[in-house]
Amino acid sequence: MITRFQAEIATAIATLCFGLVIVTGSREFGVGWDSSGPQPGAFPFYVGLLIALASAGTIVTTIVRRIGGSAALAEGFLDGAQAKRVASFFFPMLGFVVWSVLGGMYTATVVYLAGVMRFQGGFGWLPSLATAIGTAAAFYFGLEKFAQVGLLKGPLDMLLGL
Amino acid sequence: MENFASLMHGFEVALTWHHVALMMAGVLLGILVGVLPGLGAPNGVSLMLPLTFTMDPVSAIILLTSLYWGALFGGSTTSVLFNIPGEPSSVATTFDGHPMAKQGRAAEALSFAFLSAGIGAMAGVIVITLLSSWVANFALKFSSPEYFAVYFMTFASFVGLGGASPFKTLVAMAMGFAFATIGMDSVSGNVRLTFEYDVLLAGISFLIAVIGLFGLGELLQTMEEGLRFQGIKAKVSPRDVLATAAKLPRYWFALLRSSIIGIWMGITPGGPTAASFMSYAMAKRSSRQPEKFGKGEPEGVISPETADHAAGSAAMLPMLALGIPGSATAAVMMGGLMIWGLNPGPMLFVERPDFVWGLIASMYLGNVVAVVVVLATIPLFASILRIPFSIIGPLIVVVCFIGAYTVASKEFDIWVALAFGIVGYVFKKLDYPIAPLVLAMVIGDKAEDAFRQSMIFSQGSLSIFWSNPLVSTLMTIALSLLLFPLFGSARRGVRRLVTRRAAKA
Repeated sequence: MITRFQAEIATAIATLCFGLVIVTGSREFGVGWDSSGPQPGAFPFYVGLLIALASAGTIVTTIVRRIGGSAALAEGFLDGAQAKRVASFFFPMLGFVVWSVLGGMYTATVVYLAGVMRFQGGFGWLPSLATAIGTAAAFYFGLEKFAQVGLLKGPLDMLLGL
Repeated sequence: MENFASLMHGFEVALTWHHVALMMAGVLLGILVGVLPGLGAPNGVSLMLPLTFTMDPVSAIILLTSLYWGALFGGSTTSVLFNIPGEPSSVATTFDGHPMAKQGRAAEALSFAFLSAGIGAMAGVIVITLLSSWVANFALKFSSPEYFAVYFMTFASFVGLGGASPFKTLVAMAMGFAFATIGMDSVSGNVRLTFEYDVLLAGISFLIAVIGLFGLGELLQTMEEGLRFQGIKAKVSPRDVLATAAKLPRYWFALLRSSIIGIWMGITPGGPTAASFMSYAMAKRSSRQPEKFGKGEPEGVISPETADHAAGSAAMLPMLALGIPGSATAAVMMGGLMIWGLNPGPMLFVERPDFVWGLIASMYLGNVVAVVVVLATIPLFASILRIPFSIIGPLIVVVCFIGAYTVASKEFDIWVALAFGIVGYVFKKLDYPIAPLVLAMVIGDKAEDAFRQSMIFSQGSLSIFWSNPLVSTLMTIALSLLLFPLFGSARRGVRRLVTRRAAKA
C-alpha cells in the first residue's frame, strides 16, 4: 500500500524536477534584464524557480506534519484493490493510445471497445462488436463526413478504403 | 438605457431559428456531458471547440455557452438521483437532494434544483447586462501595467482564497504558466523550452490539458472508487413542476442570498464549486432548523444550485469585459474566442457589439431553453447511467482521445493528453487545485506580454506598478490577497502559543 505521505513527497519531488527542467531550459535565452526589460528567458526562469520553491515548500510542510504525527498522512493513498481497478482501466487505455498511433484511431476504437466489453464487462461477442463498430462508424460519419475533420489513420483503414 | 437598446439588438441576433436550434443542441449535449462521470463542463467545451473553428463566432459561442448551461443542469440531475455529482460544482446538491429523492420526493427535488438554478443563472445574466459595459468602459483606461496587475490579482486570489494549500496552488499555477511559455515567444520571436523537440514548436494547447486533467484524470479516479450506480427512478410531470414552483416564493431569501454569493464568486475567480459549498454552508448556518439539513431539506437543494448557476453565468462577466475568465470553463471559452480571432476584453464591446450582446441575449434564452429541455428529458438521461460502466467508461476514453486529436490533428497530442490524465489523477487525489493551472495556460501569454510591455515602458523598473493610483490600488489588493494565508497561519500560531501558555499557567 502507498501511504499519502509517500505520494505527497513523490509528487512534490516530481514537480520540483519539472521546475528545475524549466529553469535550465530557460537559461538558454538569457534570464537577466536589458534595456527593454526582461530577456525572453526571464519569465519562464522565475516561473520554474517558483515551481521548484513551492514544491520544496510542500516537501518541508509534509515532513513537518509527519513529525507532528498527522493521521491524514499515514492514511492509504492507494491500496491493492484500488490499484488493481485503476490498472485494469489504465492499461487498456494505454493500449488504445498505442494502437491509435500505430494503426489508426478507428480500428483502435473497435478493438478497444470490443475488447473491454468482452473481457472486462463480460458481454457476448455480438453486443461487444456491434457497439464497437457502431461507435467507430458514428465517429466516421460525424467527423469525416459531417464536420470534415480527419482522424489518425493506419494501414488497416487504408485497406478498408476509408 | 444604452444597455437596454444593445440588449434588444442582441435578442435580434440570438432569436433566429438557427441559433435557437443550436441552443437546444448545445443544452442536450451539455446535459449528456454533465450526466456522464469524467466528462464535465470544461472538457465538454474543450471537446466541442475544434468543431466550431469553421463556424461563425456568434453561433459558436451560443453553442458552447448552451453546452455549459446544460452541463450544469446535468450535473445536478445525477447528484439528486444517484448521489453522484456529475460536476464538481454539484457536490453540495447531493447533501439534501439525494435524501429527498430517497424519500420519494425525487420529482420535487429535481424541480427545485432546476428552477432555482434557472433563477440563479438569470440573476447572473442580469448583473452581466447591467455591469458589463460599465466594467468594459472602465477597463478601456487600462494599459499594460494595469492589465498585469489585474492578472496578478486573479492569481493572487487563487492562492489566498482558494482553500487548498498555498504551496500546491502555486505549483499548479506556475506549471500552467510554464506550459504556456513553451513554443514561440510572441515578443522576441524566440522558440522557448522546446528542448529541440519539433513537436513542441507550436506549444501545448490548453484544450489538451483540460481533456487530460478533467476528463481522463476524473475517469481514473472514478474507476479507483469502483462505484456502482444505484439510481432512483424519477419522472417529472408538469404538475410536479407547477406544485414546486408554487412553493418557491417561500424561499425568496435563500434565493437572493445564494444569488449574491454566486455572483460574487463568479466575478472573482472563486468559481461555481466554491460558490455552491459556501452557499450551502451559509444556508445551514442561518437556518432556524439546521438539524434538518442533510436529511432532505429543500433549502439545501435550492441554495447550492442557485449559487452554482449564478456563479457559472457571472463568470462570463470578467471574461468578456476584462479578458479574465472567472472559472475553468470560462477559461476554455476565452481560449476559444482567441482562436476565432476575437480579443476578449474591453475592445470587444467596441469592435464586436453584435457578438457581445448576442451572447448576453443568448444567455437569457439559453437558460430558459435549458430549464425546459432538462425538465422534459430527465428520465432519458437518467437511464444513460444504467448502462454499465464497462461500456460508458471506455466510450468516454475514446471521445477524450479523439477530441484531443481533433484539436490540431497532431499524433503527439494524444500522448500529451494521456500524460495530463495521469497528472490530473494524482493532483486530484492530493488536493492540488486544477483550475489555476488551466487559467494560467490560457492567460499565461497575455500576462507575460503585459508584464514585458510594462517593463518596456518603464525601461525595466518595477516601480511602474506603483506609478498611478489605479495600478497601485490593484497591486496592493493583489499582494494582500497573496499574503492572506500567511496572516491566517500566523494568527493560528499565536493562538496556539497563547493557549499553550494558558495551559502551563
